[in-house]
Amino acid sequence: MHPFPAHLKSVDYFLRAEPEGLGAWLVRRDSRLIWFCILAVVVGAAPYGAVMGCWWSPLQGLYVAIKLPLLVLLTSLGNGLLNGMLAPLLGLNITFRQSLTAVLVSFAYAALVLGAFSPVGLFIVWNTPPPSLATEPSSPAYALMQLTLVVFIAFAGVVGNLRLLPLLRQLAGKRSVARKVLFAWLAGNLFLGSQICWVLRPFIWGGHPVSFIGSHPFQGNFYETVFSALRRVLF
Amino acid sequence: MSDTYRVPPPIPTLSVRPAPAPPPEPLGTRPEERELITGPIAAVEAILRQPRRVMYQVRQPGPGRLILRMVCIVIFCSLVYGVVVGTFSNGVQLWAAPAKIAGGLLITALICLPSLYIFTCLSGSQARLAEICGLLAGMLLLSTLLLIGFAPVAWLFSQSTESVTWMGALHLLFWFIATAFGLRFFANAYAHSQARSQVGLNTWMCIFVLVAVQMTTALRPIVGTAKTFLPQEKKFFLAHWGDCLKPLTQDSPTPALTR
Repeated sequence: MHPFPAHLKSVDYFLRAEPEGLGAWLVRRDSRLIWFCILAVVVGAAPYGAVMGCWWSPLQGLYVAIKLPLLVLLTSLGNGLLNGMLAPLLGLNITFRQSLTAVLVSFAYAALVLGAFSPVGLFIVWNTPPPSLATEPSSPAYALMQLTLVVFIAFAGVVGNLRLLPLLRQLAGKRSVARKVLFAWLAGNLFLGSQICWVLRPFIWGGHPVSFIGSHPFQGNFYETVFSALRRVLF
Repeated sequence: MSDTYRVPPPIPTLSVRPAPAPPPEPLGTRPEERELITGPIAAVEAILRQPRRVMYQVRQPGPGRLILRMVCIVIFCSLVYGVVVGTFSNGVQLWAAPAKIAGGLLITALICLPSLYIFTCLSGSQARLAEICGLLAGMLLLSTLLLIGFAPVAWLFSQSTESVTWMGALHLLFWFIATAFGLRFFANAYAHSQARSQVGLNTWMCIFVLVAVQMTTALRPIVGTAKTFLPQEKKFFLAHWGDCLKPLTQDSPTPALTR
């Protein structure tokens, strides 16, 4: 048995956990792992969000510190039902609670990695000229901020999924099933996550007075914008 | 020194024939598959986690209650998803879209049922009509359940865009994914019916998808709005899609294609 420690000092225990241990926690009807993951998402993503936002202003730092964990949690919840249905259909017979916990576990790893990157992110923000009235979306400083911060998020996401794959493999017993489930979950989470991100924008800089959410949060969507940009480039 | 011409040994040819796929494990061999499906929740659980249980139950005598139960859940789920589709335009579409989606799905199933039965018989399958109806209901149940899973995503996008074309494409994508899982369930069940070939089933699947897609055009508008409940002009779905995609190559969307 792999007992789940009661205190938050178990972060390192969580980070070092083998898939067998994680699988045993997941199977148990114990909500502590879920709460732990939610806490890890908040504790990990909030500082990174603060770093992202503080390039623009300290208030924006506070806003993004709230928005980034919210984005992760809303994505997990929004796709919880779908992920729970897809898992058994693809050969992994786990319950809704277990599938939600598995996704949260992967997000918790990603958030903790992001949290660990926060000082590095802060260093980069410190060294980048802050936005001014002359700053435009095409400004090199803004592009550098976007690129660096997104690279960190992508890296954290990869780590989270690399930790989720062995767990799924252990639960499924088959490598192919684990891969299929991971791919389906990833596609769904990416699809919904990017749109929630769009609704909760701005994260780094918005070019207008600081606000929690932009003036038209539900205007347009991520994919339409990408499509329009592609159309402008190609035609 | 001998000049005898030596014939090289023949290249060994491997008469590699793919080993025939092992026959599927007969239905009902596991005790849990023989457990009766007693309520709607049990039916939902079974179709998601124990599809073989549904396959086994519909081939037992008197599957009528189970089929009816599944059809009721299909109607409920498609109505719920229809409301989500209707939130894009609101107003009349809040009731029109659910009615069209639930009605369209059932009419599609009814239209395709005879051809399914004929193809099944022609393939040498031993499935009875009641079993075919049960499997079709199971297929629709799985598809509509998955649509419910997609509903939160669909709702978020429907609040974020003005483009009917975009929303229509998104709903079609979700429907295609859900239907693919439904058809996979049907194909797995079909493998237990001692059919000689899958050609008939594959043909029927194409017919089902085409009918369903044409139904979305015949019952338009499901996503946007119009002056009349049903269209005044008859159109093939490809022509309709072409008309919808035209404004995307122009700079500003036409008013008809925005909500």
